[in-house]
Amino acid sequence: MKKIYKKVLILCAAVLFGESLSANEQVELKEHFLNKINEVILVVEDKKISKNIRNGNIIKVLTPMFDFELMAKLSLGNTWKELSKENKDRFVKLYVERMKQSYSAKIDAYKDEKVEVKKIDQPQPNKMALVTDLVSKDEKLEIVYKFHKPKEKISAKDSWLVYDVEILGVSILKTDIAQFKEFLQTKSITELMDALAKQS
Amino acid sequence: MRFVYLALISIMFSFSGCSSKSIEEPKEAVAQEEKSSDDSNGELAGFADEFEAKEIYDPFSGYNRAMTGFNDGAYEYVLKPVAEGYKAVLHVEVRESVRNFFNNLYFPMRFTNNLLQGKFCNAYEEGGRFVINTTVGVLGLFDPARNHFNIEAHEEDFGQTLGFYGVKSGPHLVLPLLGPSNIRDAISLYPDSLLSPIDYSEREYWTLSDTSAEYIAAKSLENINYISLNMDRYEKMKRDAVDLYPYLRDVYEQYRDKQIEE
Repeated sequence: MKKIYKKVLILCAAVLFGESLSANEQVELKEHFLNKINEVILVVEDKKISKNIRNGNIIKVLTPMFDFELMAKLSLGNTWKELSKENKDRFVKLYVERMKQSYSAKIDAYKDEKVEVKKIDQPQPNKMALVTDLVSKDEKLEIVYKFHKPKEKISAKDSWLVYDVEILGVSILKTDIAQFKEFLQTKSITELMDALAKQS
Repeated sequence: MRFVYLALISIMFSFSGCSSKSIEEPKEAVAQEEKSSDDSNGELAGFADEFEAKEIYDPFSGYNRAMTGFNDGAYEYVLKPVAEGYKAVLHVEVRESVRNFFNNLYFPMRFTNNLLQGKFCNAYEEGGRFVINTTVGVLGLFDPARNHFNIEAHEEDFGQTLGFYGVKSGPHLVLPLLGPSNIRDAISLYPDSLLSPIDYSEREYWTLSDTSAEYIAAKSLENINYISLNMDRYEKMKRDAVDLYPYLRDVYEQYRDKQIEE
């Protein structure tokens, strides 16, 4: 009887320990994220430097936190597998550049806005979603940052990486998947890459 | 004793629940990897269910595409220049008051749709907002309810009410000047208009406009004012589109789904 109790206790302890580990992970990620945001805000508020340099600095701060490469691959859905090696490389390069430009331009428009973390979900051990509010003078925008933890850490990147951003429920990645899919129904991958090149 | 066994069994089950999942996933990944020689597929498989491409039923795509082009042109060449002029003349605080005034007028619509969805707390807060903003806020020109009492608006319309009760969106439909919509939301404009004091049909109570000309003037003012306050929003969004129509369609449908989910 006693032995069984011990086993149960050990099991319970293991479960609790596991949970507190993931709770720690969540707190760590939240703090890391807020630090990054503060860093970005410092860059954005530095209006002495030119817009181009400022955008470059925003990108420098944010790039380690984002898995743009994974987003590029996912954005093409099943088409990705069919691409040749050169096309894969070129597409990832163009997509990453476009994301960097678009995201830094969006962030550069922020002023007097506060970021509040509302909630952290961890649907799987290697995935977390940070639900945040971007609070400005007259509205609140809900933005969800979805992180994943790659099995092997990528060099020059954080251990948790953003693979999708949802603004008011609109997922950047889902939108790209849908529009690329429709584009490729009538046009070629080369045309898609030309269109992406024009955007960045 | 039996209890301990039961507890153990239940714990075992809950663990096996987790482990069966984690066993299944790598299997999928392996299967995917075998299909193609690309080694990155294992990495992508973990996201497969999250980003499953949905087939979109879009019977009006030809018309929608043309209307998106028309709306985009109307925005770039008419609405935007007018809004820019308007912005140059009126101070931002005046424009914010115009926006608040119109928002306050839509109180009956928000209140009713909150009630219809059983969101009594939100309906109550909407009621409070209306009373405060109409009195202290001088006929809705100011928003003391939000700024001083921290009561947020709860946007609800009839399209969301229908969605709340499980009505599907139906095919996407781009409306002239009003932009992206779908069959459900377009039909819902009618019941919502009955609750709007900006209307030109015969009513037994006070409305802001009596004739269709007044109605168009009021609506134009509301929209130009809105654009002037959110000047670059549409341009910024448009930047990420490789093809404007499917892009806007998808953004709209995802946004509505989210609103209904709340």
